[in-house]
Amino acid sequence: MKRKRRTTILVKGNWKIAKSLADEIISKYKVQVIQEPNSGLVMVKMRETSQKKLFYLGEVLVTECKVQIDDILGVGIIQDDNPEMAYYLAVIDASYNTGLEETKEWETVLLREEKLIKDREKKEAASILKTKVNFETMDV
Amino acid sequence: MGYVAVKGGTSAIEESIKRLRYERLKGKQVIDVEVIKHSMRGLIDQIMSEGSLYSRDLAALAIKQAEGNPEEATFLIRAYRSTLPRKYYSKVVETEWMRVERRISAAFKDIPGGQILGATYDYTHRLLDFSLYEEKIEEIKEWVEEFEKSLETDCEEISSQLPKVIDLLRREGFIDQVKRDDSEPEDVTRKSIEFPTTRSERLQILTRGETGALTALGYASIRGYGTLHPTVGELRVGKLPIYIDYPLENSDTDEDSIYIGEIQVTEVESLIPDVKEADNENGNKEIQFSIGYGICYGQNETKAIAMSILDNCLEKSHIDSPVHNEEFVLMHVDCIEATGFISHLKLPHYVTFQSKLDSARKIKKENKRDEKL
Repeated sequence: MKRKRRTTILVKGNWKIAKSLADEIISKYKVQVIQEPNSGLVMVKMRETSQKKLFYLGEVLVTECKVQIDDILGVGIIQDDNPEMAYYLAVIDASYNTGLEETKEWETVLLREEKLIKDREKKEAASILKTKVNFETMDV
Repeated sequence: MGYVAVKGGTSAIEESIKRLRYERLKGKQVIDVEVIKHSMRGLIDQIMSEGSLYSRDLAALAIKQAEGNPEEATFLIRAYRSTLPRKYYSKVVETEWMRVERRISAAFKDIPGGQILGATYDYTHRLLDFSLYEEKIEEIKEWVEEFEKSLETDCEEISSQLPKVIDLLRREGFIDQVKRDDSEPEDVTRKSIEFPTTRSERLQILTRGETGALTALGYASIRGYGTLHPTVGELRVGKLPIYIDYPLENSDTDEDSIYIGEIQVTEVESLIPDVKEADNENGNKEIQFSIGYGICYGQNETKAIAMSILDNCLEKSHIDSPVHNEEFVLMHVDCIEATGFISHLKLPHYVTFQSKLDSARKIKKENKRDEKL
């Protein structure tokens, strides 16, 4: 599973999953923290729809952490002040970069969580439609 | 009269700061930051937008510290922001990816996907609800539970990508077709602006501008100091995903990017009619529409609409009016710059004022002497 899809599932999904996957690795391998979780900013670059040009909308607070497993780095970056989650994401990233056997087993867990996220978002979107206007033409 | 250098006030300042703390605490009530975060959505959105930093937690903390004063809370956020390293730039965010929570058009009744009201004050009576004095947590929990249960119905599925109203007009030829421009934007937080400004600088200054300032200038434009009377083509509130390129490798493939979270924004496209000479042989005039673009953090619809008006005004800088003058607009809408300059007037100006007073006294003395002659 590619990183974009994987990080979307881990961040949008139940954070207990990221913790349990990371804990599995931490209990078996030597995980060295290269950069403790720390705060920083991500500048949001976006496209406006009038002339389709780019501009900067503003910054987003993030927490970043870097770890190493078998001399291979992994990084975890997440919105807001979430040091533990940044650490878990870094461990998971390093596990994939190192090609650890355990990561092969994670696919099923992640796919199951992805389905839950999609169902939840579909429900949220559908519930918003309760506020959709049904216009009636009046006889005047 | 000579100048006298003075020092002192340290103890008075220390006592003043204690007094300020006392003013916040003397009621012996503590408001939890989590309570602010979950109950002051409007103020949090305003502070994040004007502070130009998306973090509901920090905005709530700033509101608590500033006792709900928006200019002070924004100042705290901007000050904190300046202490943090900018680690990354996001991948380009396209608003077509928005998970829509509200979407309306004032231009068309029937739009593909429909008018979705979402959460809005627009249709509420502005009557004080005295029952809120007696609001109980148990009652709230019960109401929320019932409401959430009521949402679990079979409802039609919302399209993940609602078509844009402006795209319909573009297809009809009423709005100019434009190609995507990937030129790197300027960043006003890194380089001071010079006039004339670029579009990216204008949009960045407007989106972090003070809500009241933008609203006042946008209103002035419609009232007669500008040439516009816009129609809100589309207003959307929703969440946008933020991705960054993977920092450990030189990989810029989209699938290798990192998802960091999502931000809520309000986006407005206003339609402004422009009379244009047609390209045809008889040279008849035609009406086309230009778009004013507004966007800001959180749900702040008045600000986003006002921004869209000012964006269009500044695109027409040849018009002789204050709201079409980019220096007039852009140099005065920033909360920190404006409130900072105004509030500095409270600080000691003993020397400059004494100098003015000396001049005034001298002139008065000279005038009296002249009168005697």
